[in-house]
Amino acid sequence: MELFKTKTHIDFVRSMPFMVALSLTVIAASLVSIAVKGFNFSIDFVGGTVIDAEIPANATGVIDEARLRGALEKLGQGDATIVRLGGPEDREFRISLRGSQEEDRELSIRILKGLNDDLGTQVVAKSVDSVGPRVGGELRRAGVTAIVLSWIGILIYVWFRFEWQYAPGAVLALIHDVCFTAGVFSILGLEFDMNVLAALLVIIGYSMNDTIVIYDRIRETVATRGTTELESVVNEAINATLSRTVLTSGLTQLVVVAILLLGGPVLRGFALALFIGIIVGTYSSIYIASAVLIWLSRRYGHPVEAKKPERRARPTRATS
Amino acid sequence: MTVRNRWILIGAVTVLMSWLALPSFFSDEARASHWWLGKDGMTLGLDLQGGVHWLLRVDEDAAVQRELERIQSSVAEAANDAKTEIKSSDVKAGVLTLHGDVAALRKIAEQSAPSADVDEEEGALVLRLKDRWKRDAVDRDAATALEVLRHRVDGLGVREPVIAPQGHGRLLVQMPGIKDPAEARPIITSTTFLEFKLVLDQAPSTELLQAKYPKGIPDDQEIVTQPSRKAKDQGKESEALLVPKKAVLGGDMLEDARMEYDRRNRPIITFQWNSDGAKIFREFTGNNIGHRLAAIIDNKVITAPVIQSKIGRNGEITGDFTREEASNTAIQLRSGALPVPLVLEEERAVGPSLGADSIRDGVHASLLGAGLVFVFMAIYYSVTGMFANLALIVNVVILIGLMSATRATMTLPGIAGVVLTVGMAVDSNVIIYERIREELRRGKTARAAIQEGYGRSFWTIFDAHVTALLSSIILVMIGRGPVQGFGVTLTIGLIASMFTALVVTRTLMDTVYGTHPERLRI
Repeated sequence: MELFKTKTHIDFVRSMPFMVALSLTVIAASLVSIAVKGFNFSIDFVGGTVIDAEIPANATGVIDEARLRGALEKLGQGDATIVRLGGPEDREFRISLRGSQEEDRELSIRILKGLNDDLGTQVVAKSVDSVGPRVGGELRRAGVTAIVLSWIGILIYVWFRFEWQYAPGAVLALIHDVCFTAGVFSILGLEFDMNVLAALLVIIGYSMNDTIVIYDRIRETVATRGTTELESVVNEAINATLSRTVLTSGLTQLVVVAILLLGGPVLRGFALALFIGIIVGTYSSIYIASAVLIWLSRRYGHPVEAKKPERRARPTRATS
Repeated sequence: MTVRNRWILIGAVTVLMSWLALPSFFSDEARASHWWLGKDGMTLGLDLQGGVHWLLRVDEDAAVQRELERIQSSVAEAANDAKTEIKSSDVKAGVLTLHGDVAALRKIAEQSAPSADVDEEEGALVLRLKDRWKRDAVDRDAATALEVLRHRVDGLGVREPVIAPQGHGRLLVQMPGIKDPAEARPIITSTTFLEFKLVLDQAPSTELLQAKYPKGIPDDQEIVTQPSRKAKDQGKESEALLVPKKAVLGGDMLEDARMEYDRRNRPIITFQWNSDGAKIFREFTGNNIGHRLAAIIDNKVITAPVIQSKIGRNGEITGDFTREEASNTAIQLRSGALPVPLVLEEERAVGPSLGADSIRDGVHASLLGAGLVFVFMAIYYSVTGMFANLALIVNVVILIGLMSATRATMTLPGIAGVVLTVGMAVDSNVIIYERIREELRRGKTARAAIQEGYGRSFWTIFDAHVTALLSSIILVMIGRGPVQGFGVTLTIGLIASMFTALVVTRTLMDTVYGTHPERLRI
């Protein structure tokens, strides 16, 4: 079976200026949202306490968010966020208290005890997390460091393995992907937890994968056709690898969607970030990385005698 | 390498990795009772098996305070030797202040306290710990605290606990299977220490005792209280005692402490001094027969009996303990006091039911995701698609094998990492297969197309993996807990996928199509 029976001839390069402009607009919007609205950080990053509590069936009265809020208000914790986990028939709630809790080690115990008294039952604490503000701040810094470090690492690696003209495009594409995905989380106010940070790093790896495949083909085509028609070389390279690009992102998305739908609540943010990131990552490899490469090569030249892709010394021979 | 040798390599790797992976699917008991089963397996992260995770920080202010107190006494000793009088000295808020002949004291302080900066302020000499020594003090206290925590947790009998340093001045404690963090927390954070102090005065409550001293209690004395043991009076005090601030002797001279039962079968704590402690204790109790002696743990009076006779090496404390209290207190006494208080920075508790739900969801999602990929590959690439699927299975076997051998921790994001690895491993095959199809379309023979497909894809796949590895290694370095576990899974998975894509499928292709390339179905 084949999705692309004949070679595609899509003119990607022609639409690049428009796409780059579109990307710049979206990224600007993302950055504005990140700067103005910020993130809905989980307690991993800002400190606080989160309790996942299951209310047993023998509790008295109606069990809903308002009832729990009433119980919490009596404890002086009226500003807690209460969310029902699962459907309306599930008696499971997430109670989040963001912000500094370092001084109050007993908070989670007081809350559970208060709920027990108010609801006349033994509330089951399925999980209790509490994080001090100092750790949270450090994690934010570590996260930013990790992402920036991987950008720098990839910049150096691509420079080393390809020509320098290739490196900025690769990294700009990655910056684009991270800003876009993080921007969606900021604009929609989705919870940003440690797993989402991990997803951002996976997206960097994934998008890089895509860019390398296209760059590799550009380099290979330049070696035979030269750089005088760089635009058509890039077009040919993108078209030649298009079936692979579509297949791989499709297959990875199959896995990600399975996790998104069935992986349980803990992994939802992680899977969602990957879902967005894989789409953007595929797009940016084509439109951002290649556009920057063309622009830099036009401005500063592209070595005509491109580094030959080192081939494996000799292909192994079949001898059976 | 010939096809035959490559098969030997693939076979050996697969068998070895399967054997390494196997113990992860068996219980500890089974691992111990079957000789053919390896002993090392993956451990489940706390997010999957339930338990409590604590991140603790050594209180820097307290560590500095302790170091300054040490300096205070060494300066005092040196001043005494030099016959220089220290009118008063005081450690407060990270500063040691000395009053007296400032010029003379300065000379002494500079000599006897090289770890401090010495200054004069408002006619007094002030000493502040140098930054490097602050770090040093924190690190030293963290190391001591680690040992103390190890002893304490060992005493609890938790299976496979983790007690490890975590960066500068931080300690990580994980106890799988503990359901109630509130119950276990005091064992970790209490600075429990035992002191014996002579009772100078007594009254039924703090107010009444304070009333006896209208001018305030002397500077070197303090009031300690004995909490009431009666349930209805919880939180109230049953007696207040005036004791000197300085103890007769403390827990550092304790050699052993245990929970035992007295004749009426009540839990008691028995203790044993080392030889120095025994000497001091014997002399002290001998001199003070008829006085009351307070046994104080964590500034709370446990018991304050009247000294009946000289007591030597062994003693016991009776205090209406419950069994657990007596046992936990004994563990804490035995393992020594924490040098400084530990600040609880992070506490995560996962109930066992949530862990089980997470495993089920994670595994279901992974199986479905991987299953869809398998079906697609088989349909899209027919026979060669099946080769890729075989390679994916070998990939997962290698991944689990390596993770088991290194006793890595499997976390929920780690399970997601396994399937994502499948996604990335399949990419390598897609790159190769699409290239082969392209070469076939250009009219190349099947044999040449296979050669070109693998040859031209090698560096693409190599570069793609190296760059992906870059970010996954960074994830291992900065991530904590489950996220770090995810990074480890991803890193190992990427390495495995290079092997399977470039060696396993290639060998399958060569074997099947080597002599009859015209049969190639792709």
